[in-house]
Amino acid sequence: MSAAPALRVVVAEDSAVIRAGIVEILADRGHDVPAAVGDAASLIEAVVEHRPDLALIDVRMPPTYTDEGLRAALTLRDGQPDLPVLVFSQYVETRLLAELLGRRGSQGAAGIGYLLKDRVGNVAEFMDALTRVAAGGTALDPEVIAELIGAGGQTRALSNLTAREREVLSLMAEGRSNVAIARRLVVSERAIEKHISNIFLKLDLPPSDIDHRRVLAVLEYLR
Amino acid sequence: MTRSPASGGVSLGSSPWVMVAKEPFTRRSWRELLYALVSFPLGVFGFAFVIATLFFGALYSVFAVGLVVLAASTLAVRGLGALNRDIVRRLLHEDVSPPLPFRPRPGVVGWVRSGVTDRPGWRARGYLVVKFPLALASFIAVIALRIGSLWFILSPVQWAANVGTEKLQSDGAAHHYVIDFGSFYFDTWQRTLLLVGIGAVGWWLAPWVLRAILYLDRHLVADLLGSTSLPSRVHQLERARAGAVDDASARLRRLERDLHDGAQAELVGLAMKLGLAQEKLTQAQRHGFPEVAQARRLVDDAHDRANAALRQLRDLARGIHPPELEHGLQSALGTLAARSPLPIRATVTLTERPSPAIEEIVYFCAAELVTNAVKHSGGSAVSLQLAQDGDLLRLTVADDGVGGAQIAGNGLSGLAERLSTVDGQLKVASPIGGPTVLTAELPARP
Repeated sequence: MSAAPALRVVVAEDSAVIRAGIVEILADRGHDVPAAVGDAASLIEAVVEHRPDLALIDVRMPPTYTDEGLRAALTLRDGQPDLPVLVFSQYVETRLLAELLGRRGSQGAAGIGYLLKDRVGNVAEFMDALTRVAAGGTALDPEVIAELIGAGGQTRALSNLTAREREVLSLMAEGRSNVAIARRLVVSERAIEKHISNIFLKLDLPPSDIDHRRVLAVLEYLR
Repeated sequence: MTRSPASGGVSLGSSPWVMVAKEPFTRRSWRELLYALVSFPLGVFGFAFVIATLFFGALYSVFAVGLVVLAASTLAVRGLGALNRDIVRRLLHEDVSPPLPFRPRPGVVGWVRSGVTDRPGWRARGYLVVKFPLALASFIAVIALRIGSLWFILSPVQWAANVGTEKLQSDGAAHHYVIDFGSFYFDTWQRTLLLVGIGAVGWWLAPWVLRAILYLDRHLVADLLGSTSLPSRVHQLERARAGAVDDASARLRRLERDLHDGAQAELVGLAMKLGLAQEKLTQAQRHGFPEVAQARRLVDDAHDRANAALRQLRDLARGIHPPELEHGLQSALGTLAARSPLPIRATVTLTERPSPAIEEIVYFCAAELVTNAVKHSGGSAVSLQLAQDGDLLRLTVADDGVGGAQIAGNGLSGLAERLSTVDGQLKVASPIGGPTVLTAELPARP
């Protein structure tokens, strides 16, 4: 496709079927896959070797099939804080994800994403998320967001937000633009802008580059 | 004993006489001999210990110290009992299952009370007291028969070597003899041979006499040092059930993993292929073939079906073994609370991680109870608590709703049944008008 720039993506997924599918889709979109591996150790090697624009990582991989992918993502971000990482899994795994989201890159926050595998089957949505994360944005599955909020969001500064503001913030966390949020909530873009500036105010985020603040707000929301 | 019908004769190697003749030299006889030698000092010590502690305990029983000594001696006699059981198992090859372990009541007073009234302890004392004469008898049987007989058998050597006693008799003759019974002197070589015969009989009698005494000992060990039969059976069944529960849970985890690696991965792959096909068809549609639009609809439909199947499979796998449990109950119950439409305060305080099977039951109970509270209570807040009290886990789910919950309804009976597979139970406190408190209690290990 035309709009998105070609990316170099390292893929880590232990299931050969899904790995092949992902590589096929990426190739179809003109992206380059210098390495597609099946476990966390080879992933780290491949990232060090190929310096990709993004790492696409399955959460459950050998040997224990629990959270190898997330732990590998944390290791990668320790060495390369700006490496965009898109994680995906069959189930929501919030334990280490909260930690991953809490780590900020040198530019505030490097791209981070978490999708459920159901979403991966939807090619357009999947590729959309991938390019967003590669550009330093966030792409979080709505189910992931729901659980992250429940896991600890209710207690902090967020309690000052109105229900509508929370809704807007949750759509921001999914990585949606103001236009998309306005369309989803069936209100004007102006109204969304007003909600967002209220959110920034309530979360005590200093005025600066809007994109940066957006990310910080989302991180505050999810932390 | 085997007879060969073909030859019609008695084979030498297996005739009863040969077996009896060989008996003093079998491994079994040597083991029994060793047992008699080892258990003699042990028997003397055990007897002295029991009598001394009982005497002291009785003497000072009006003071606390007498009872404390008695209670402490219970642990010691249980230890002696265990030592005896171990020796019996090694040397007599009699495997006696131990009594239930000492479980003191809480507190110092509880401990002393449990110690003084401990039944296995008193039975062990009984054994140690009765063991004393038995140990003495078997020791004497061994010394007298084995060593005495050996001395008899070797008497010709003594006689020949002239080490026997010389005695001047009333008739003036000097008898050179090995042993005398009254005025009967074994002073000729023929008579010495008679001694050898007697010695041989004694030597061959020895293992049988010892075996007869040990026959009693074995029975006493089984009756007094073993578990009483019912608790041991219960214990055995509990262990078997724990094994079955663990096994079933391991099987389910494997099944969940197989689903994840197999069917679920295939479906994701399928959905991706269909997704890609959708894109291609969208591009082709622009070129305006009418069949393409039709194909596109079919592929869309197939894509939806694949996603629906994936979701169903995911729910199924989650029902088989919740993947949330990988990191323990703390995070699983936190996730459960987060997913609920009502605000839930979840507090989990565990001192150790329960076994996987128990974690599953706790998780399913919590999920069911929370769903119930959300659906039926009409309340506005739910609290979920999991606490550990020694070996007992207590899961409490409370809501501020209308009350009136009963075990009979709302799927609670299924929960109670599931809990009962590990000796757990469900308690319901739900007066009309609320609030409702449901408590599930179960052991931390099956």
